[in-house]
Amino acid sequence: MTSLNTHEARGARLRRLVLTNRIALLAVLIVLVVAYFFVLDAGGYLTADYDFDYLSAALINAVPLAMLGLAELLVILSGRGGIDLSVGSIVSLAGMVFGVVYGQWGWPLWAAIVLTALVGALLGAVNGFLVAYVGFPALIATLATFYGYKSLAIVLTDANPISTPPIQNLFSITRSVELPVIGRDIPNVPLGLITFLLPTVVVVWLLVARTTYGRRLYAIGTNDVAARWAGLPVRGTRFKAYTYAGLISGLVAVVTVAQFASARPDAGVTGNGMALPAITIAVLGGVAITGGIGRVAGVVLATLLVVWLNAGILLAFVGNAGAQYQLLALGAVLVFAALLNGLTTRRYGLQGGSR
Amino acid sequence: VSTGADEVRGTGGAAGRQPARRRLLPAAMTGQELVLVGVIAVIWVVLALRTPAFLSADSLQPLLVATAPIALVGVGMTVVIITGGIDVSVGGALMVCAVLSAKALVAGVPSALAVLLSVLVGGLLGAVNGLLIAYGRVHAIIITFGTANLFLFAGLQIFDSQTVNGIPPGFDVFGRGEAGRTLGVPHAFLITLVVGAAAWWYLRHTAGGRHFYAIGGNPDAARLAGIRVRRRILLAYLLTGLLVGLGACFLIAQGTSTLDQSVGSGKELAVIAAVVIGGTSIMGGRGSVLGTLLGALLVQSVTSGVTQLGWRSQLSDLFVGLAIIVAVGADLLRLRRS
Repeated sequence: MTSLNTHEARGARLRRLVLTNRIALLAVLIVLVVAYFFVLDAGGYLTADYDFDYLSAALINAVPLAMLGLAELLVILSGRGGIDLSVGSIVSLAGMVFGVVYGQWGWPLWAAIVLTALVGALLGAVNGFLVAYVGFPALIATLATFYGYKSLAIVLTDANPISTPPIQNLFSITRSVELPVIGRDIPNVPLGLITFLLPTVVVVWLLVARTTYGRRLYAIGTNDVAARWAGLPVRGTRFKAYTYAGLISGLVAVVTVAQFASARPDAGVTGNGMALPAITIAVLGGVAITGGIGRVAGVVLATLLVVWLNAGILLAFVGNAGAQYQLLALGAVLVFAALLNGLTTRRYGLQGGSR
Repeated sequence: VSTGADEVRGTGGAAGRQPARRRLLPAAMTGQELVLVGVIAVIWVVLALRTPAFLSADSLQPLLVATAPIALVGVGMTVVIITGGIDVSVGGALMVCAVLSAKALVAGVPSALAVLLSVLVGGLLGAVNGLLIAYGRVHAIIITFGTANLFLFAGLQIFDSQTVNGIPPGFDVFGRGEAGRTLGVPHAFLITLVVGAAAWWYLRHTAGGRHFYAIGGNPDAARLAGIRVRRRILLAYLLTGLLVGLGACFLIAQGTSTLDQSVGSGKELAVIAAVVIGGTSIMGGRGSVLGTLLGALLVQSVTSGVTQLGWRSQLSDLFVGLAIIVAVGADLLRLRRS
């Protein structure tokens, strides 16, 4: 009897854990998705092999997605309706700057990357200034700069893409490399994952989870009036969140230029743009749109889920129908995650993405 | 502040009634809207000086036709934003409605029925948003980001990877041509004006309209005051959806006989831009339809102005961005001062 009760209690606890802890939920979903496509693959229903090599190669798509997701994490955490619609436009504009200085003026690569990141940070700082110091609602300020940066990116080179030889050679960043020591036993990993994504993840994690700045960010996002009375520099903290988001977008610009082997003036805004998927990733990762709640691990896991789901969908359909079903999956997952947040809040009195 | 008009009107004595109404109802035209009229006038004068043909009917009629769909959807978006919500799925919804009604026209459905179909489908999509937001208790921007993807998927599926060709000219009553005008005024613009005027009156002078402001101002207070908050919110998204359906017909009428997958793309941001330039507060509780109509006209004037001056057309986005900053910035300054 007793053992049955503890068994039940364990089941309820497990359910509660999966429902209220976003990271546990995402981990379960990732396993389910990958297992499902492995089964489909074993049954011969896919147009190509869905194996560990494919999963690893698909990670190249995770680089821009996760980085921009982390950028959104920072601004959404900062609260007061924080959001950044302009990240895609920053990617376009900073990417064109990178194209000009690296592809046309022949700057060394490191200098070009530093400049591009600084341009991104500057563009983000404009957002931060408008939101934190002037008091614009974030949605409005970044909607305006979305339009502005998008336009400037096109005007800068008269709508011409830049794909000179140095830019084309950058494509090597997307190639997969064997990791040292353990590389024999695991699939090769896309280079961009190690050179761009991993450092960004580590730095952002250190920033939000291990520095005073991070604690301030959570504090102003949770209650910015209380934070002000506690003597925190509310405006400066919020301003920096947007600046860092711009800086990350600048780095994504370099990745994007390398991936396309061309600096395209519409790189970050074609189709659905880059901002929408990035915000989706952040929300899916358990970042509360009201601010103050969210973790780096959630964003990373949400990216893995979406990337591997998309990779599977691509193989499950012939032709470009797969790209359409990716939209369906992204939308369905987002609505599901949002409704689940609401449900768990009511049922357990907790925010679903609690930290 | 702006929500107590009805109670006062109902209970106040004859003597106190007039001043109370004047104090509680916002002015018929706010400073923001006057400024917008001024800015539009300046743009038009500058354009007229540069290209004298600008103020001719041939140039103004297409401008008004192009303004119509953004302004029309903007009316719905204004109501949504007044309740404190937002709808970023209107681009996807426009696509679904446009491709469905275009296919219906090609299949020989009479144009009146095709319009009806488009409006009904739009209403359905809006109701999906409204139900999820009002009863799922989830932030509007999250849900509509999600449904935006779902609507895009549905639209692309209906397109079936090819353009819709040979659309019969059934929607020309909404178009740029001779068939789309009465006494020189484009029908699309006229319909938008009528819808806008009705919404303006409803929001300003009926109890039901004021409820939207009450919800945007403070949803909890609104609920305690007896307003059916969820039903109102559902209604706001439903209304937006219905107008999206009609707006989609305008879009088809403006295009050629071929409809491609880019229809509706980016329109959600254009609509939101028009609404916020018009002085509606994104925080909810404040805003007007008149401002939105002027905002849409301003955006379209800038866009066609840039083309007429022979500048690169994408430069217009820069001016739209600046217009948002200036318009909302001026509003912020005014709020801070008062």
